Amino acid sequence: MLSEEETRRYARQTLLFGEEGQEKLKRSSVFIAGAGGLGSAIAFYMAAAGFGRIRIVDCDAVDLSNLNRQILHAQIDLGRAKALSAYDALSGINPEIEVEAVVERISQDNIKELLQGCDLIMDGMDNFPVRYLLNRAALESERPLFHGAISGYQGQATTIIPGRTACLSCLFPRAPPPATFPALGSTCGVIGSIEVTEAVKYVTGKGRLLENRLLLWDGLDSRLEEMAYEPNASCRECSDVSAKAVGFTQIGQR
Amino acid sequence: MMVSLPDGSRKEMAQERASIEEILRMLDINPEEVIVAKNGRIVPEDETAGGCDELKIVRFVHGG
Repeated sequence: MLSEEETRRYARQTLLFGEEGQEKLKRSSVFIAGAGGLGSAIAFYMAAAGFGRIRIVDCDAVDLSNLNRQILHAQIDLGRAKALSAYDALSGINPEIEVEAVVERISQDNIKELLQGCDLIMDGMDNFPVRYLLNRAALESERPLFHGAISGYQGQATTIIPGRTACLSCLFPRAPPPATFPALGSTCGVIGSIEVTEAVKYVTGKGRLLENRLLLWDGLDSRLEEMAYEPNASCRECSDVSAKAVGFTQIGQR
Repeated sequence: MMVSLPDGSRKEMAQERASIEEILRMLDINPEEVIVAKNGRIVPEDETAGGCDELKIVRFVHGG
């Protein structure tokens, strides 16, 4: 049940999916991997939209070179842990939700524990090795993974639903070589917003998700393109797991 | 076979059928940095292409 204040706060989006949809968002618990450029856009919009519990994880501290794009953090946060700065920003924008800040590096050893109690996995990472950990955890726990990545004016997004779609390793079997990437805040905004829109649709059961579809954003050409993909029968990650994940139901359909 | 390259240019390749991996090698493109769509659908590197197929090679990104 929404409080009177929540009813007012979310009035413009209950026009889209009703109080019932808003209550589904309120009951949802999300894991946001990273409080950088993508993580900032994701976290702000998820907090504002009223996802009930947000756990945001990042091991880094705020640096001046982050502030062109990492809008969770301000000048006053320089040197603070990004997760703690994120906690303040998100609690400030929406005190109705629960925010949990975790200052840790996501690894093979802690990922299961970090994901405990979370229904959705949001990819705000800046590297593929950790994305593969998120992908494997998503497959094993049958949680949806909302993928996004950026570089300069370019970005991409897709939605991985274990048991229903290909996994991240089907699509990107090998990590690209590590490199320093250029980053524009507005590109993080475009891709992070797409990831959040996907999560809202997933939870409220509205629309058509980016299932087995990779959305590519080219900001230089102002163009969005879509490419279809499908499960890879020889995928090292999901070829054996997907068969086990048949009984999966959307949170929004519970 | 018409091939769209990551820089947006297009190139006609006349050749026997070959695997995506071999085609990328001929074009001097590192397969770790791209995804390849054949006739609009992303395919693995061991898939073959030729004839009237349309390939689109896209550099994917990894930052956040």
